[in-house]
Order: sequence, then C-alpha cells, then structure tokens
Amino acid sequence: MRDRLDISMRANHVFFAVLMGIGLICVALAVAMNDTFYLRLGTEALILGGLALSVDILLGFGGLLSLGQALYFGIGAYVSALVLREVPSFWLAMAAATGVTLLAGIIGGLIANRVRGVYFALITFGMAQVVAKVVYNTRELGASDGLIGVPVLEIPLGVITVSAGDPLAFFLLTLSVLTILYAAVAYLFTTPFGRVVIALKANEKRVPFLGYNTWGPRMVCYVVAALVAGITGALYPMLRGFVSPELMFFASSGNAVIMVVLGGVGTLIGALYGAVLLTFLKSVVGSYTEHHLIAIGVIFIFAILFMPKGIIGVAKPSLERRLIRFDEQTDAARIKATGERA
Amino acid sequence: MTIKTLTASVALAALMTGSALAQDEPIRIGVLTPISGTYAGIGQQVSWGLDMAAEEINAAGGIMGRQIELIYEDSEANPSVAVQKAEKLMTSEDVDFLTGTVNSGATLAVGQVAERAGKLIATTVSFSDAITGDKCSPNVFRVNARAGQQSAALAAWMKQEKSGAKVFYLGPDYEMGRSTVAAFKSNAEAVGAESTGEVYAPLDAKDYSQYFGRIRASNPEVLYTSVAGNDTVRLLTQMQDFGIRDGLTILGASGTVTSQNIKAIGAAAEGFITGVGYSTLIDTPENKTFVEAFNERNGADPDLYGADSYGLLFAYKKAVETAGGTGTDEVRAALEGLEWDTPQGTKTIRAGDHQAIQPMYVVQIKDGAFTIANRIDGEAAIGPDTCERF
Repeated sequence: MRDRLDISMRANHVFFAVLMGIGLICVALAVAMNDTFYLRLGTEALILGGLALSVDILLGFGGLLSLGQALYFGIGAYVSALVLREVPSFWLAMAAATGVTLLAGIIGGLIANRVRGVYFALITFGMAQVVAKVVYNTRELGASDGLIGVPVLEIPLGVITVSAGDPLAFFLLTLSVLTILYAAVAYLFTTPFGRVVIALKANEKRVPFLGYNTWGPRMVCYVVAALVAGITGALYPMLRGFVSPELMFFASSGNAVIMVVLGGVGTLIGALYGAVLLTFLKSVVGSYTEHHLIAIGVIFIFAILFMPKGIIGVAKPSLERRLIRFDEQTDAARIKATGERA
Repeated sequence: MTIKTLTASVALAALMTGSALAQDEPIRIGVLTPISGTYAGIGQQVSWGLDMAAEEINAAGGIMGRQIELIYEDSEANPSVAVQKAEKLMTSEDVDFLTGTVNSGATLAVGQVAERAGKLIATTVSFSDAITGDKCSPNVFRVNARAGQQSAALAAWMKQEKSGAKVFYLGPDYEMGRSTVAAFKSNAEAVGAESTGEVYAPLDAKDYSQYFGRIRASNPEVLYTSVAGNDTVRLLTQMQDFGIRDGLTILGASGTVTSQNIKAIGAAAEGFITGVGYSTLIDTPENKTFVEAFNERNGADPDLYGADSYGLLFAYKKAVETAGGTGTDEVRAALEGLEWDTPQGTKTIRAGDHQAIQPMYVVQIKDGAFTIANRIDGEAAIGPDTCERF
C-alpha cells in the first residue's frame, strides 16, 4: 500500500514545476516584448496567490473556512508599509511583518478556534471587518485614504542587490518567496503534525481517541496560515507603493476563497493556479466589458458545476495514477536488478 | 549629391513623415472610474461629462488637429484595482493623460503611479483635502472643489449673514465625519463664529433626541451637520418634531441633503443651507446651454461630477495647445496657473498646489427645492496653499 498523502504531494510538486515552467516562459516572452505591465500583474497574482495559499492551508487541510484571511494579509502589508516609510529596509520590513502577524495570528487563533464550522467562518469574517473598520477610521494609519509614499526599495540579497522597481527582478524575488512558502507548508503537512491536522478535518472527535491533542495542531495550523498571508502581504506595498484598508475588506478575503475553489481545494498549488487565473481574467475581461463581474461570476459557477475539485482536481487523478505506475515500475526494476523479493 | 547627403535627406524625410503620423494620431486619455460597485452612479456622471466634452472637442477639430480617444477601465472604487488598471493604461495603452478616479484613496495611489511613470492625472471628483494638501504630487491636478472649499464657502456666507453667531456641530461618528466637522469649525471660527459644543452620533443612528438636550442647553443660532442619507432624514424630522428646529439655521455638508432624500425629509428640510461647486441652477447662458445639451444627450441632469468632468477636457485642450504637445513637463507647466471657462464659471489652477480655484455657490432649500442663495468668489473660498512638495 502506497502512502496517498505522499503521492498527492508529489503530484502537487509536479504541478508546481509546471506552473514555474509556464511562469518562466511567460517572463521570457514579457522581457523579449519589453512589457512591464503583465510582469507586474504576474507579480501581484503571485502575491495574491500567497493569500489564497493561506486560505487553502485552513480550508483544504484543517477543514476550516476562513472568510477573513485578508486580515493577516492586510496586517502584513500595513506593517511593511509603515516600516518602509520610516526605514527603507527589505529585511526589517519582512521581519516586522512576520513578527506582528505571528502575534496577530496567535490572538486571532485563540478567539477563532473556540468555535467550529459556520461559526468559525463568521468569527473570522467579523474579526477582519472589525480591524478593517478600525484602520479605516484611524488617522495615523491613513484612514480611508490609505498610506502612500512607500519608496521603491533596493533589496540586498547577499551577493546581488535587486530593485523593487525592476519588474523582472521583483517578479523573480516574489516567485522565490512563494516557492519557499509553498515548500515549507508542503513539508509541514507531510510531518506527523500535518497528518494530525488532516485527521482533524476528517473526524475531529476521533483524534483524541488516538491519543492526540486537537487544540494544539489546529492552533498551529491557524498561525501558519496567518504567517503565510502576512509574509506575502508584506510584499504588496513593495510592488504597488501603497496600502489601503480595502486590502482587508471582505472582497479580498472572498476573492482568495474563490481562487482556492477555482484552483482546487486541498492541493496547495491550486491556490496559486487560481490566483493567476483570476487575476489575469479580471484584468483582461475588465478591459473589454463593464460587465466583467458577471462574466467572472458565470465562469465561477461553471467551474463549480463541472470542475468541483478545481483545475488541479481535473488533472490530478491521472497524474497520481502515473506516479504510482512509475513507482511500481522503478520498484520492479530495482527488484529485478538486485534480485531481492518484494 | 554624395551618398551621405542622400541618406541624410532620406532619413530626414522619414523623420518628417514619422512626426506627421504622430500629429494625426489621436490623443489618448485614460478614464479610470468606478463602473461597478458602490460609486457606479458617480462613475456614470463622470463618463457622461467626459464623453460629451470629447464629442464636442472632436467635432470642432480636436486638439491641434488630433482627435481625443477615451479609454475606459473600471476602478471598482478600490485603490488596489485602480493602481493595477492605472499601470495598464500608462504602460500598455500608453495614454497621454488620465482622469476619472473617484474615491480619494484611489486618487492618491494612482497619483503615485503617475509620478513614477512620468504621466499626469487629474481628478474631477475626490474631495479629500490631502490630495492638493499635505499629500500633493507634482503630477496630480484637481479641477473640482475640495472639502475645504465647501466649508470655506459656508463660512464666508456666515460672515455675511450670521456674523459672530453661536454654532453647534453634530457629525457622524467616523473619521470622515469628524474631519469635515473639524474643517468647518476652523473655518467658522476664523470668521468670528463662537463654537458652543459638538457631538458625534453613530452612523445609522435611529434616535437623535438624546443630543437635543445639549443643543438646547448651548442655545446656538446655527447648527452645522455632516450626516448624510437616511441619517439626515431622521435627524431633521426628529428636530422638527421636538420643536428644536425653530429659529435655528441649519448648515450642512454637500451630501447631507440631496435629491435622493429631500422628499423624505419634507418640510423639515426647509431653509437648509449648503455650499457646492456646481448646481444646475447657476444662472448663466453657458450653464443653461450645458444643462440642456447634457440632458438631451444623457437623459439626466448633470450633477457636480458630470459638470467638473466635462470642464476638465477643455482645460486639458487649452494646456496642450499652449504647450504645443502632450509632453508631461510642458503640459504640467501649461496647466499651472491655467485659466479656462466652464459651465460653472471661470476656473483657475493654482500653481502652488494644483488645486482649481472656482466660484462656490451657497444653496438653500426653499419650498422643497434648492435655490442659489449666494455666490462666493473662488479666491474667498480657496484657503491657503499647504502643499510643500513642489
């Protein structure tokens, strides 16, 4: 019997490699055609993909629907913007954003993890709205106008220094951050801890009977999701040069959920596919018709009706079968070569 | 003729046809305005005004022989969307100029994009004083009246009609509500009014009678309020019912009493006064023609957004003609200090902060309809230039 989680994760990695490949080809095209807009749009799609990834950690693995994940994205973005306006240091901004979202994630987790199901969805929604309204009415945080004036950063990366104003360099930096986050989260879910989280989704009442604490893993899952959202949120002001309370509004959280559903729940990589697809669709369709929201709504409905497991869900089963066959063949070959018996 | 001079003349000829082509190309203006969402109604007025102005300019031969082409994008009234679309318009579409932003957050954020892309933008809607104040940008212009001009117009009216009056302030309890009250308060005190107290009621408050005790105790002659929508309906009708409305002059922000809620307020709205940058009632031949043409084309009356947007393209036309091209630095220099005619009267762009100086109108409700009570000169309502960036 093969480990299904292992096969599933390997299939996800293949899809990640495919996305990377497509991304790099598109980047090469963009550079060749001297485009900056689509390169920066792609960067934004990846950043929003981080928020979607955070939703998928909760929804796809913990079985918790968060309707307020933009809260942590927004906190990361605001902390990063506030730091950068004072001290234009990439590392300081990232460290501060990580620290503050860690704290916020723990506080939010203590509140939200007291309840389950629809109440969890409502409480996460409520927390995000409360904080968004506080920011909206706080003069020191720019209130409804938001904060502008985040400088174009020079980012020292050991041997080289890249500029956030250089579309290609910043795209590659964002891609690297997302790769690290994806790899870390994927690794986390293959550890025993990750399996407990997945077990929680399957049947929370049985987990204690197996001797595991349920509160701890769920809490860690929530905080990790908050961190992923906060870290990618910190990249937003570096790309766009401003933050506004709209980043925390329900529209952002809701969009992230749509991205995950479109890409495929519980696949991690589906979140990134969904983010890229939705961001580009919105941008392209929006330029052709003023009824773009209708078009996107219809696409979403059709996606749910005909691809309930998302884009990744369509291709994943056959890929998994291939991976299993490949494993069996290599096993068989090894047995043949060494002469050992299965 | 040597080969060298031949190549040179061929190159020269090519260059001349090239520039002749550029001369015939349309001037591309990006319009980034909310087509969907909460502010879609404002976006509609903006696009009506701009379309109409573009048609008129194009029919009259365009700008220096070049037609105007408007390229629309939906900002969804969300700064993050607006910034992304602004980048698209400025880099992919290569527009010469951009306008249409509605909410102040979007205007500020798009202004920063413009600054980094070396393009110019103008807003015809955003009220926030910061846009041409402490967050001003060399690449951002505003041709509509800012929040401060409205309260300055009201204060100027108070100086004439209610000099030294005792004023009470009642605002909605959120950041914008508090800042509008603060702005009016400083303007009113500057013209000698005596402030007797202020209260803030929650948005969507059902019962305002709890504040009436304080209002009565401080015995004001003037009440200033910046509540809006259905809140105004409740506030004014409850004041009427409690008899506290009698003998009190009520001033308000321009969104307090509108065509949407005036019928619901009924008699309680009588005598209400506000300051606006535009009204269809402005009694000039230019405005009469404008209102008629606007109504015929769009099937609705223009409001201040439609009128300000209409006026903008004529400012841009004049600036490009003065500058002799659409280059950012040249057009910026031409726009600074530019004086042009609009249905609202003559506007001037102040060079120091890129804010349009325009006559303001004090309107009062009489017999259930707005009437123009007074006209305040632009210079009297403009307030100091607080922009320090350029």
